[in-house]
Amino acid sequence: MSDHGYTQGRSHIWTSETIRDIHAKAELGRYQIRGFSTFRKFPSWDDLVFLPAVMTRLPLEGYREHCETKTVIGGGKPDLVARPLELDIPVYLTSMSFGALGANAKMALGKGFTAAGSASSTGEGGMLDEERAAASKLIYQMTPSRYGLDLEHLRKADAIEVALGQGAKPGTGGLLLGMKISEKVAKMRSLPPGVDQRSCVRHPDFLGADDLQVKLEELREATDYQVPIFLKLAACRVEFDIKIAVKTGCDAILLDGAEGATAAAPEYQLDNCGIPLIASIRTARRAIEDLGMSGKVQLVVSGGIRNGVDVAKCLALGADAVAIGTSALMALGCNSIQYEDDYAALGTAPGACHHCHTGRCPVGITTQDPVLEARLDPEEGGRRVANFLRATMMELTGVAKSVGKKNVHNLEPEDLRATSLEASAFAGVPLAGVEWTVGPELFGGGR
Amino acid sequence: MSEVITAPVLLDADDGHRLNRRMRDLVDAGTRAITVTNPRSRHNLGVGQHGPVTITFAGSVGYYSGGLNNGAEIIIERSAGWGTGEAMSAGRIEVRGTCALGTGASMRGGTIVVRGNCGPRTAANMKGGALIVEGNVGYLAGFMTHAGDLIVCGDSGEALGDSLWAGNIWVAGTIAGLGADAKVVETTDEESARIHGLLRAEGIDGTFDFKHVVAEQKLWYFDARDPEAWLRI
Repeated sequence: MSDHGYTQGRSHIWTSETIRDIHAKAELGRYQIRGFSTFRKFPSWDDLVFLPAVMTRLPLEGYREHCETKTVIGGGKPDLVARPLELDIPVYLTSMSFGALGANAKMALGKGFTAAGSASSTGEGGMLDEERAAASKLIYQMTPSRYGLDLEHLRKADAIEVALGQGAKPGTGGLLLGMKISEKVAKMRSLPPGVDQRSCVRHPDFLGADDLQVKLEELREATDYQVPIFLKLAACRVEFDIKIAVKTGCDAILLDGAEGATAAAPEYQLDNCGIPLIASIRTARRAIEDLGMSGKVQLVVSGGIRNGVDVAKCLALGADAVAIGTSALMALGCNSIQYEDDYAALGTAPGACHHCHTGRCPVGITTQDPVLEARLDPEEGGRRVANFLRATMMELTGVAKSVGKKNVHNLEPEDLRATSLEASAFAGVPLAGVEWTVGPELFGGGR
Repeated sequence: MSEVITAPVLLDADDGHRLNRRMRDLVDAGTRAITVTNPRSRHNLGVGQHGPVTITFAGSVGYYSGGLNNGAEIIIERSAGWGTGEAMSAGRIEVRGTCALGTGASMRGGTIVVRGNCGPRTAANMKGGALIVEGNVGYLAGFMTHAGDLIVCGDSGEALGDSLWAGNIWVAGTIAGLGADAKVVETTDEESARIHGLLRAEGIDGTFDFKHVVAEQKLWYFDARDPEAWLRI
């Protein structure tokens, strides 16, 4: 058949992917759901570069001098938090539920982050005993659905995170398809086994910031003012959202950018809602500073963080710590080259899989299938995660030392330059070569 | 355990946090009855309290009273604010006046009895136990309830039982409107006897003709149940 040279299609609107999507919707009668993160191309961390020390300052000796990575969250309000979250590194595991992940993955992550001197998080499915045992520091997440919410679990936690939004699907509740609602997951969530869990988005007993302020006091009363309380927000109206969050009296804010991943979300949400993390951090830091609360309320950021240099860029823009998810799963073996027939059965291949929503994870991470889950050894997984975190810290401290910092928390926006106009505007740092920041005067724009 | 003390200890809620801590300490020391003579409508009173103890608030209380209750009996002699008994796992709470929004939200066990009316979102995300309202409930009562019994002797507002997962809602009076995926089914004699038994245990006599609201289960699943359908992306 002659194609006259046009077999690939020439339209930028009606691409083959768009046409296939419409055909699928016409057949299924519902929107598309998938796992992983957005497929949209945002300006990325690769569009920022560090300015290492040359003549204006001294670099540290990379293999000899120490660069501090200790991070304390919740230490700014000693009258309200008896036990701040003290981490050896400024990176911890973001919230991913038992249900979205299998128990072996939860254990492996707990072991890996513990080995690195850091913390992990329960996610919304309640506290798994195995995970509590594996993690020396565990953050307990409370979502609107309050699955498995338990006073004793709250009191066993090292921090509490009240989830108000998620970068991958802001403005919507959790989603976990029936293939992953096993008997155990169903029992922990008080759900009928096998249902397609679509969770509520609003908490049942507070609506606005004034109510939430009282709610946080309730959590402090229940846990006797021992541990810090985080609010997790999706990056949307960042300045106002952060200011209102600070007003509630929380100890830390986890700001989740649109690059954040999920076990399952409507694709229209993944690709069209929220703003990227790179565009959010400076605004968030400024909002906290405007209220005079820097040092009292910590800013943690998450969403698409791949390596230690990404972490360094987040800290330089104003984050106190970084939470990671997908990169930790990849350290466990997500998308690794094994079980290729099982990837093929999902219509994909190692390196290209985004089918966390199906529960058929070939490497046994995002599944409740005992056969698949047995492919992940918690000990070996924990070792791999610890290795990854070690490498991440080498990258973070390595770049910080080259910039001349003895403490990673001393990285600052002035240490960065952007290599694209968009990145300059998003991150609020000067465009390399012209020393001019695109955007409002607030961050030096127009100079 | 120290000696059990049954004579009520009288306290004032001049500082809610100090009061909560004092009440826990008293229970640990063997006190089995506490009366807070002036609760001052403070928030978060009796939060995370364990039993065995009967705590009486001789007045009205604010938000989240008895929240995360784990075995205490809490009596509120007048009215209560938002989230009364939220996430409680065991024990009993009795409110002799009215309750505002979110009473018994995400409760997992125990019993809450409200002698007056309740506001909206009563028993939202409820996961177990029994919530009995002698009066009426506002809109979205039983929203996304997972398990347990919400028993309303009066009327219900709009959107009753919206998006129910499971559990049972019983309404003796009129239902202003059902929520998505809720339906009324026939109440069997056994079910009626069980619910009237729960009422009698709380001193509520009389015979009620309950309408039984359950999940229609149409929201339990997306329409496509074929696992292969999830791979079209």
